[in-house]
Amino acid sequence: MTSVLLLVKISWRNLWRNPRGTLLTALALGLGLALLLISLGLLDGGHEQTVADGVRFGPGHVVIQAKGYQESNSDELLLPARVVSAIEGFLQTGTMKQLVRGVSPRLQATGLLSSAANASGVRIVGVVAEKERAVSLIPQRMIAGTYLSSDQHSAVVIGDELAHKLDVRIGSKVVLMTQALRPPGAQSKDDTGEEMHSTLLRVGGIFRTGLQAVDGNIINVPLPAAQTLLGVADGQVTQVALLLGQEGDSPMVARALRKQLAGDPVEVLTWRESMPMLAQILGLDHAFNYIMNGVILAMVGLGILNTILMRVLERRYEFGVCKALGLRPGQLAAMVVGESLALTAISLSLGLVLGLSVHYYFATTGLDLRLLFRGGLPPALVFDPILYSRLSVNRIVWSVGIVFIMATFISFYPALKAARTELPGALKVL
Amino acid sequence: MNGRLIQFAWRNLWRNRRRTFITMAAIAFGYVMLLFVACLMAGLRWQMIENGTSLVMSEIQVHAPGYYPSRSIQKTLGGRHGTDVNVMLTAIAADHRVYAAAPRVYGYGLLSAAHRSAGVELMGIVPDEEPKVTVLNSQIVKGEYLTARLPKGVVMGDSLASTIGIELGSEIVLLTQAADGTMGNDVYTVVGIFHTGLDAVDRGLVLMSVAALQDLLHLAPARIHEVGIKLKDITTATAVAATLQTQLGKTFPVQARAWPELAPELAGYVQFNRGVTFVLFFIFFLMAVIGVMNTMLMAVFERTRELGMLMALGMRPIQIVGLILAEAAGLAVASLIVGAALGVPVLWYLQVHGLDLGGATGEVVSLAGVVVGHLWYGRQDFPAYVEAALGLAVTAMVSALYPAWRAAHFRPTEAMRKV
Amino acid sequence: MTFGRRGKRISVLVLWLAMLSAGRVTYAASKQPVRMTVERLANLFSSKSSIATVKMQIVNEDGQRDLSMKIWSLGDRIIVRITDPPEEAGIAILKVGSDIRYYLPKSNRTVKVPPSMAMTSWMGSDFTIDDLMKESFLARDYSVSTSFEGTRGGIAVYEYTLTPKPEAAVVWGKIILQIRQADAVPTWQGFYDEDGKLARELTFSQYKTVSGRVIPTRLVMQPADKAGARTTIDYEDIAFDVPISEGTFSLPNAK
Repeated sequence: MTSVLLLVKISWRNLWRNPRGTLLTALALGLGLALLLISLGLLDGGHEQTVADGVRFGPGHVVIQAKGYQESNSDELLLPARVVSAIEGFLQTGTMKQLVRGVSPRLQATGLLSSAANASGVRIVGVVAEKERAVSLIPQRMIAGTYLSSDQHSAVVIGDELAHKLDVRIGSKVVLMTQALRPPGAQSKDDTGEEMHSTLLRVGGIFRTGLQAVDGNIINVPLPAAQTLLGVADGQVTQVALLLGQEGDSPMVARALRKQLAGDPVEVLTWRESMPMLAQILGLDHAFNYIMNGVILAMVGLGILNTILMRVLERRYEFGVCKALGLRPGQLAAMVVGESLALTAISLSLGLVLGLSVHYYFATTGLDLRLLFRGGLPPALVFDPILYSRLSVNRIVWSVGIVFIMATFISFYPALKAARTELPGALKVL
Repeated sequence: MNGRLIQFAWRNLWRNRRRTFITMAAIAFGYVMLLFVACLMAGLRWQMIENGTSLVMSEIQVHAPGYYPSRSIQKTLGGRHGTDVNVMLTAIAADHRVYAAAPRVYGYGLLSAAHRSAGVELMGIVPDEEPKVTVLNSQIVKGEYLTARLPKGVVMGDSLASTIGIELGSEIVLLTQAADGTMGNDVYTVVGIFHTGLDAVDRGLVLMSVAALQDLLHLAPARIHEVGIKLKDITTATAVAATLQTQLGKTFPVQARAWPELAPELAGYVQFNRGVTFVLFFIFFLMAVIGVMNTMLMAVFERTRELGMLMALGMRPIQIVGLILAEAAGLAVASLIVGAALGVPVLWYLQVHGLDLGGATGEVVSLAGVVVGHLWYGRQDFPAYVEAALGLAVTAMVSALYPAWRAAHFRPTEAMRKV
Repeated sequence: MTFGRRGKRISVLVLWLAMLSAGRVTYAASKQPVRMTVERLANLFSSKSSIATVKMQIVNEDGQRDLSMKIWSLGDRIIVRITDPPEEAGIAILKVGSDIRYYLPKSNRTVKVPPSMAMTSWMGSDFTIDDLMKESFLARDYSVSTSFEGTRGGIAVYEYTLTPKPEAAVVWGKIILQIRQADAVPTWQGFYDEDGKLARELTFSQYKTVSGRVIPTRLVMQPADKAGARTTIDYEDIAFDVPISEGTFSLPNAK
């Protein structure tokens, strides 16, 4: 027991006999860890962002809709208002509240939007402005006017392609015409007498997302107006879209909701299920991150090996003296390992401080990718050019742990070399 | 003098083999990692682009000038201006970079079944040619793709089918405004239903044969709206489009556009991806700087006596700096060569065999018969490789600067006394 | 999604105005309250029933097309049957209330028209299904004021400016209507967008007396932004308040 304590003491003092060298090395390793944390943060952030960008133009990370809607895409399948309340209520509770960033009920249908100059088929999305802001990206892509607000009852927000086609601007009159949604089951064989409703709206805002399918097709109107127009009674909606803090929580939130709503004729889908095309595209992205993590770790590991090996090599003389004084090879090896661990511990502390600070900066201010492109980015960049770093506590603990373990194992080789120091060769000076 | 210095530097490197090898290993390994990353990133980029273009759009599209953005059915290739579409198709296929080219016709119409109707986009294709250019045919979930033996068959998305209430074998009516202004209409049979997962496509696209659509639109058989092209190597898209536009334009005016113009959101993703690669590279360089600088610093301190002696023997500080830098340069070059040599098999493997990500992707789901985490091919990105090499070389040199400066400031007498 | 080419859209107010809604008959104009005059105008072609033979000529950048058709109306039902040219003869359009269907003889099918179909250029003309379907309620949707009284083009006219009421579901900024002082028949109608720019204009001419009313038998609609494009409607024959059997308003294969 005493020998272990002694070893620790000696290891520690050894480190500080060359304070500059030790600090330099610790700094070097610490920087390595810091870089690991930074790159993990940026990669995770990039992935998270790519997913978010994709789902925010659609049904969000998790979506609740009437059973069968995904399959049939029939606008007549609606969620009853009580389900919507149940969802909203449930998501206010404890854990859910932490995970969910936005909840937006929407009513969707197709219709015709006309102006004095032209008309076009559109996809109507009736929303509650404040809630939609937390989920959809459209409110952040306004290029003229403002997004909907709760006090506007007859405003509509359209894409710039649509605005161009209809030759309208902010304040222009447009007429939205659509057919009332029939409740399923009330389908008659002969569709006579279906009520068509028209309503006057004014263009309150114009957005540009860069996605033709959105800019030329989608319009946002206030939910109550949509419900009236479509003859939907009692607060029914097509879907409730959720935006989460972390994409990774999607399955869990979906499961919790399914349990909560068991017995209701609903389907709860994660974005991978509701947007399989996106999932396919992003599956690669996800896998890529794993590989990147591996590569970065490998480089950090190599750095550690390099450093420790160098230290061992440069201290041949010292080890020779130790051995000459009677230190056994095993003890010498233990000493080296002990030093490495101590060094790693110091490095990790430095690295954590540095890494987390930089991560914090990138997490709040973000890294503007535009700085990297002297040639300029394409004008309608769909993806947000500012990359925000994301690090979960999990990740940090995992990284520190892995590096520590890696350092331990890596130090075995140099320790072995130290143990094998040959006398009298090592004592030769120069 | 310089030559001698370089010789000296080189020999210095090999006098302490172990140290040299360790540092070389670090740089070489770093380089292999960078090659690996660049190759994978390029593979990821292009796979995304291929996914995006292979469904319906195709990699290059050729139209009559003025067809976009109004997409007037009058603006055809062939027909009015006496152009010959077959000649054009042959000319396109003759370019060795082209894998396949397929003619298409487009229209808009009302699709009506027993109880309901909907406005749809009509796309006329050649059943034998189109699958060489796009993969919509592999997305059929019910029934079959178009074939030559069912000339009046149509294929539509599942959302559309369920909205209208159509099954396989149903008859539908298509009504459109024909090219001569009259109401083109006819009856067709639904032979297949597809699912792409793209709402706009599943809800709004109806595929039929070119001949049938030309009939419906009262367009002469020689008239088409577009030629969709698939290339052997998608990275050549912009170049081939430019070539085609010039070349074909000599006989008849056309507009050839590659996917970056057709799908700017994809192009946007590519830029994003490049940005992330760049950031990663930068981080790796930093790691390399640390490693190399650390090593070189150690080496310099280790050689204090030696360097001190050199100075005592008359070497000037500036020459010491030169010596260290030359050593660093030599080290870098040697390492990069080794790294490149090691990297070649890795890159080859990535490109030819790919990386099987079956296990590593965790929560990935298999949908519509397409497995999400699957075989992932790398693609060569030579500009990135060169950039990485240059970056590492510069890094090595820069890392050596501080140690070299320190070395130059040794006081010979003190240095020689170091143990 | 657009059906047909970029819609050269002409408001139904034309055809509708020219066709029918339930109402009374007007005769000579006098300085009656403006609102009443406008209402009468809206009812100019109105009657409980009517049968008309119409020729439509469409001129646009692709050339010229001529169509002949026969139109029956009874209450809120209207059916149009194309008689010429032969390729399109037999096509029929039936409107009952807000329900619109086409009959296509070539396919021998009846199709229903959904509202989400944009600018369905009706028979390739500048009329749209939207026009056919949307009933114009001039008096209901607009407030009317007299903006001019005097002579235009050698004819004594009253000119009315119709401004849409705030909640009215119409896209126009204003409509200007000119009627002859002598007999209160329309001579010209202009449709303006909200910026006050003329979007399209409708010219009435060739007045005849039918069943005791003076009506214009030629209507020419011209979009303001397309030079050389216009659609001309000629009433070769029209009869009001004639008996029409209910069975007229049906389409073969109607499901």
